[in-house]
Order: sequence, then C-alpha cells, then structure tokens
Amino acid sequence: MRRPRPTLIAVSTLITVTLTTAPTPANAQRAAPPDQVTALTAHQADGYTTLAWQPVDGATDYQIERTPVDAHNTPTGAPTIVGIWRPNRQINQQAPTFADAGYHPGDTFQWRVRARAGTTEQPYSDPVTATTTAPWGNPATPGEQLRTQWETTHAAQYTSDTDEYAYTTAIDTLSDRVRVVELGRTVHNRPINMLVIGYPTPAATPEAIAATAPVAINCNVHGNEPGDREACLIMARQLAFSTDPRITDLLSHTTVLIVPTINGDGRANNTRGNSTGQDLNRDYSLIRQPETTAYIKMVRDYRPVAGYDGHEFGNTRAGDLPMLPPRHQNVAQPIFDQSQDMIEGHMYAKGAEAGWWACPYGCEGGGNVGLSEETILRNTLGLKNVTNSLLELRSSGGQTRPDEGNTANNRRRKTYSALWTFHQFLDYHRADRADILTSRAESIEIQAANTGRLVFRGSRPIPAHPAPHPGDSPPPLDAPRADLILDNAPCAYKLTDEQYNGARTDGPAGVGTTVAQRIAAHGWKVIKTGDGYYVPLNQPERGLIPLLLDTQGVEKLTDGERVYPTLTGRRNGPLVVSGFTCAANATINGPVTVQTGAALVATATTISGPVSATRAAGVLLADTTVNGPLQITNTTDAISIIDVTIAGPVNLSANTTGTDVPLLAGNTIRGPLNCTANSTAPTNLGIANIVHGPRTSQCAAL
Amino acid sequence: MSHPSRALRLLAVALLLTTAGCTATSTTDAKPPTSTSAPQVTGPLCAALPTGTDPGNPTFLASQPVDEALRWIPTLTTFEAALRTSGTLTDLPTGTGVTILAPSDDAFAATFSEDNWDDLMTHHTDQLRTLLKAHLITGTHSIEDLVADGTATTLDGTTVTLIRTGPTARLADRADTVCADYQATNARIHIINAVLGPLPVTADSTGHRAH
Ligand SMILES: [Zn+2]
Repeated sequence: MRRPRPTLIAVSTLITVTLTTAPTPANAQRAAPPDQVTALTAHQADGYTTLAWQPVDGATDYQIERTPVDAHNTPTGAPTIVGIWRPNRQINQQAPTFADAGYHPGDTFQWRVRARAGTTEQPYSDPVTATTTAPWGNPATPGEQLRTQWETTHAAQYTSDTDEYAYTTAIDTLSDRVRVVELGRTVHNRPINMLVIGYPTPAATPEAIAATAPVAINCNVHGNEPGDREACLIMARQLAFSTDPRITDLLSHTTVLIVPTINGDGRANNTRGNSTGQDLNRDYSLIRQPETTAYIKMVRDYRPVAGYDGHEFGNTRAGDLPMLPPRHQNVAQPIFDQSQDMIEGHMYAKGAEAGWWACPYGCEGGGNVGLSEETILRNTLGLKNVTNSLLELRSSGGQTRPDEGNTANNRRRKTYSALWTFHQFLDYHRADRADILTSRAESIEIQAANTGRLVFRGSRPIPAHPAPHPGDSPPPLDAPRADLILDNAPCAYKLTDEQYNGARTDGPAGVGTTVAQRIAAHGWKVIKTGDGYYVPLNQPERGLIPLLLDTQGVEKLTDGERVYPTLTGRRNGPLVVSGFTCAANATINGPVTVQTGAALVATATTISGPVSATRAAGVLLADTTVNGPLQITNTTDAISIIDVTIAGPVNLSANTTGTDVPLLAGNTIRGPLNCTANSTAPTNLGIANIVHGPRTSQCAAL
Repeated sequence: MSHPSRALRLLAVALLLTTAGCTATSTTDAKPPTSTSAPQVTGPLCAALPTGTDPGNPTFLASQPVDEALRWIPTLTTFEAALRTSGTLTDLPTGTGVTILAPSDDAFAATFSEDNWDDLMTHHTDQLRTLLKAHLITGTHSIEDLVADGTATTLDGTTVTLIRTGPTARLADRADTVCADYQATNARIHIINAVLGPLPVTADSTGHRAH
C-alpha cells in the first residue's frame, strides 16, 4: 500500500516532544553558553555538505558560516554567511540540517553555526573542518575520468551541445550499462538523445525495457534553465561506471532513461522556448513541435512508470526544490496519490536528512498560474499513468543562501541539489516499485473503465503540509470552472476524414503533423468504420483524449463528435454488431458476433454467451464480464481487453493491426489463452493477466 | 575523452599568459605584484566572477577572441547568446576594436519577460540587433577613458553619457558598471546592471514565471 502521508503522524509526535523538551542534552555535556549551537557535524556528499547541529531553545533562525582553509587549517579567504536555516525548511525541526553547496567540490572549509533570537546573534558553535567531496570519478579510471564542460570550467560555462554529444558518446563507448539512442531531432536538426542505462546491460528493445518498469528524467525543457541538465550528465557518469552496490542494485531493478536536452535549440540560444518561440512545456499534449513529439513517442514505446521534469524557478522566497505532482483532475487518483507520496512522503523526509529544502511548488507566496494545463509534461505524464513530479531549482540564492550571485556558486548549488533529487528519485522507485506499479495498474483500469466526469481544465487540491513543514503556502486551489466539466462522458469521439487526416498549420514554419500522426504518437486506439474514425474512451489514456478531441477542450486539436453508448440495459437474444456499437452498463444475454469492418466497444457490461469477432475493425472491452469464450481474429485496426473477466478460452489470432499493439491487461481468464500469428504480439502493459489455463505462443508471457 | 585535454590546454594557456604578460591597463594597481600585467577588472561583481587562476579568469580572457571571452563570463549568458545568434558582432568591420557594454543576466531578467525575450530572439532579429548595437562602441576603450570623454556613441547611433560615481561609472543615467575593464582580443568588456536602448520594460512584477 502507499504510505498515507506517513510523515504526519511522526511530525505531530515530534512537535509535542520539541515543545516540552528542556535544554538540549549537549548543553549538559560541555560548558557551552546556553545559546551556543553545539554538536555541529559536517557530512560530505556529492557537491554538498550536510551540516547538522543541536537546536537552541528560542532560536528564530540559524546562520551558517563557511571559511575556506588550507591543509594547515589556515584561512585562505574571508568567513562568509552562506546559509540561513529557517523553521519552515523541514518536517522535523528538532534535528536541523542544512545542505551547504555552491563551493568548488574538493576544497576544504571550516564551518560554524550560530543561532539568532530575533535578530540578536548568539555565540558561534565550535568549528568543524572538512575537505569536501571532489567531483565524482577517479581521474585515473577510464570512464570515471570523464568530465563535462561545466565541470572542467568550474561552472563558468554550461556544457555545450557538442560537448554533451562527445561526453555521452564516450560514456556509451566505455560502459556496457549505457546505450545512447536518438529520439528525434529539434527544429534546427539537433539530435535529441536519451541515455538508456541498465545493469549489467540495458534490455535490447523498447518493449523489453518497458518490462523493467523504467524511470525517466527530462532534464532540460526550458533552454534558459540548464541546472538540472548538468546534474543529469554527472549522474549518467555515476550510473555508468560506479561500483557502489547501491548503484548496481538500482540498475538491476529498473532501466534509467535520461533525456539531457529535449530543447537543444533553446539551450543553445538560452531561450525558454524552442527555435520557433514555442514553450515546449505547453505542448506535450498537443505535440505540435518535433521535440515534444519525440518525448511523447518515447513514453509510448518505453513506458516509464515514474518521472521527473527539471526546471529552474525565479521565486526568491521559494525553497531549494519546489515540487508539484500531476494535478489535473482527469489524472487517476492512485497516480496523484503516488506522486504526492513520492514528494511529501519521500522527498520531504529525505530532504530533512540531507538538508535540502524540498517544498510544495511556490513554498512561500505560492505559484500563481500554469498548474492544471494538460500541455505541461507533469500533467501529460500523469494522464498517461506515470507517477511523476515537477522539480524546480530556485534560480537565485534567495533569502536563505545569501552568498550567490548569478555565478558559479549559484550554478553549483542548483545542479548538486538536482543531483540529490534525481538520486532520491531512483531510491524511491527502488523502495516503492511495487506500490508504483500497483498505482499504475489501478489507474489504467480506472481510466479504461471510462467512468466519472471529465474535467477539461482544473486541478486536484493540494492541502498545505501540516506545520512544521516545508513551505508556508500550498499551490493555489485551481478548481475547474463549471463550464469545463462534462458530467456525462461519451463513449468515443468520431472524427471525419478531414479532421483526422487533414493538413495542419500549427507546427514549425506553418506545417503541422496530422491529427492521425499525433494520436499515433500518443498511442491511442483508433477504429475506422465506414463513416469515420472513432477514438474510444475505454483505454488507458481516457483522461487525455477529450482534452484534445472534445469541442470543450481548452487547447484541443479538433472538434470531435461525441458518440454516446447505443446499447445499455438488458438485451436478450443473439447480437450481431455492425458499424460502431458501444455498450455501457449493459447486460447482453446471447452470443455476440462482430461483423466484418464493425467495431464493439464495451464498458461495465456483462455478456452471457460467446463473443466472436472476425475481420472486425476493432474490439475494445474494459471493466466487463464475458461468460463464454472470446475469439478475435483478423482484426484490422485495434484490440484492447482491459480488466475483463472471461469465463472461457481466449483466442487472438491473425490480427493485422499493423504496429498498433493489442492490449491484454489485468484480465481474469478462466480458460486457456492463445495468441498466434498476430502482426504485433499483444502486451499486458505491465499488468499481469490471471489465466487459469495454459498461455501459448505470443501470449506465453502475459 | 576530449575533456581532460581541454582542461590541459586551458591550463597551458593560463600558464603562458602569466609569464608572457599583456598590455597594462590605466587603472591603478590594486593587485599583488605577481599580476601587475593582468587586466584589472573593477566593480562590486568582480569578486563573484572567476578570479585568480579559475577557468575564465580575466588574465586568460585577455588572449581570447571577444566572442569566446564572452562565453566565459557566467553572468552574460543572455547577452552572449543574443550576440551570437543574431550575428551582431560579425557586423563590425574587421580589424576595428570594440567596446561592449554588457548587461548582466539579472539586468535582462529585470527588463524583459521571458515571453517577450523569446519573441525578440526568435521572431524579431532586426529589433534584437538594434538593441544589441545600443551596447557596442567602436574602438577599445577603458571605462576610465569613456568617463573622461563623458559621452560615447553606440552603434545604434545613440549618445550615452558616462559619469564617475564612486568606484563605478554610471551610463545613460540608468546603468552602473558592476565589473568593468575585462579585456579580450581587440576588445573591452564592461559589465553593466541595466539594459540600454529604447525597448520597454516587460518583465512582470511577480518576479517569476510558472514552470
Ligand atoms: Zn521551466
């Protein structure tokens, strides 16, 4: 089970303890003034130092001082206040921590911490001196010795496009764990590469990688927000070459997909958008641009189960690491809950240990706009049943990191905080893999059942995390407007040939891909019958389909015609399906035959009798019971059987759906399952079927 | 692969520079004796930029072509990308020196909204080039020389006043030098804290934009 906000209970207990505890035990051990910070420790990690200390009663905040020293502990520079610890940084204030970062990794420093009561400074703690961790990788070990341009220039320069390609190619060449694949090209023909990382080697095909429940990190969509990208490049080296058992264990249980630069043109120009000026993080549903199209096709083919999307954030009052789950109300509840668990259950807790201030998007002052658009990757992925979060790196040092201009100090803090987050993301996936997959399976079944209202735009509420908490204000409510809610969801959308195949002008240079190509990129099932193209809603991305095809969609592709069920209630006697037939909440007593070129779409329906489709255009069944055998042969367009109980044998054979993969997921089959000679082998989307008889041929592993 | 050799190359160049020396500047010597020949950058932001032997230090940049030098200054990412993508520097007659009044990233962020800036960068190259030319002066001029003249004419034809205000110089009554007198081959670079030119301020008051 997901942890139902596990931190809450712990925190409320801790508050009580904090409020009632007498002066800290450390004071009793040594002759320190009562308001002096004691027990200061410095723990080294990649690019940051976790400082921890015993809290002082009555402290308003704490100042962290850092002084560069040489090997003889002699100062080589001026003492500088580099950090302010405030009570809203973390969930457990009785154990304050601060991740100091921004320095050049490998240098030696002395730290001191002092409390302030109001603005009155208390005595400094005794100093702690340590040499920080040098940039990862032994300079004498092939592979490990690689460095990015950002690292070799001490963060004076970001890694250029050509340096990125050389670096990732070198990793690919030197590590069996890594394969670099090109997902597509930008408008200006820059490659969009993805590192595919697994242990001992990544699986060979996208379908095989999908079976490992992969995780995906989108490192740099806004070209002027490059901090996460540098972290991705460093982490790729660590994953490729580290002999740390933690790393090899992680990579043995998943495949890590890293896309360093989806927006290479924008990165080269240091612009937010791509070379056409399009903000790509407002295009993941519409996929007008080649960059977003490449990413969405990757999601279709590799099926990541969890994701992070890297950004930088200009609110100076925010925490170090604002995060936000997929909030769109069409996102299935289990995916929203799982994403919240990743953020609040894991990142807030681990941030309190490491000293990084993870917080809800906004943190202080909140976020104002841009929260429920399905065009944003965070929401698009949620609608595709991917547990995921936005990650912001606070652009400036802000009020809590006073020693940062827009300089190397600032760049290093951002990048190493992203590196910490991405490693935590991998740890979360490792620890909660089963829960993530359960949430995904439940969400796919919920979506395919096509029940409940549709919301065209509007967010799920995110309650404030109870104090003491990271952040003072949650993101705004952003509830859907009444005119953006459709209570009576249709069964399908019907598109004309012109709508489906017609030329479009909404892409670069006024040339857009067709609706047909975009629907294919999303991986939705489409059925062509005599009078049009039908996109049924009883499929895994049900929440996203209306946003693009309904006339009420805020940023839609076209005005599809809503098609409502034609078959409801009880029906006795044989049923012969011709044309497009949609059954919902129906009870059909009698054999069902789907004729040549016809389509049967059913949800919440019970069919007593055999179901047989020969040369049908499509068969899509979800949340349904078939009391009898199910035989589907020679289908031309689409097959999807999700969360269906079948009391009898199931046979899928000689179906010619081309590259469109038949779905057979989460079903209970009381009989044998046989799949032979289909143009593409069926997949279960990672949701196993329960089959009482033998599974053979193309379905042997389903 | 190529990175260690790059680092070694840079190191070698830096070492060469410290021994070969370069033209002394007109500013007073406020540095240790070993670096008397190094360019003397001045202003409150200089300490936060690469110094000493850090990659991108002022001595190293003095031997670099101006377009390369600009890439090394961390706070000029917006300005550098705009100059590069618009090709404005290539408009200069070859052989003539250039003085660059380079607004910092903070200055651009305080002036243009991200949408406005993206629009300029992607759709209005002429307007962008005019904006950039408002920050270029023919010839290599130290900030001291510019202040002594009192005015300078930028490549967009505008006359900019320069007056000394304590340790920095004030330009056009709206910008201050925050780190002046970087040198590059046939060039001077003065980092300033505001954008010059006629374009209106479009940055939004909330100070941040949603993801
Ligand atoms: Zn962003």
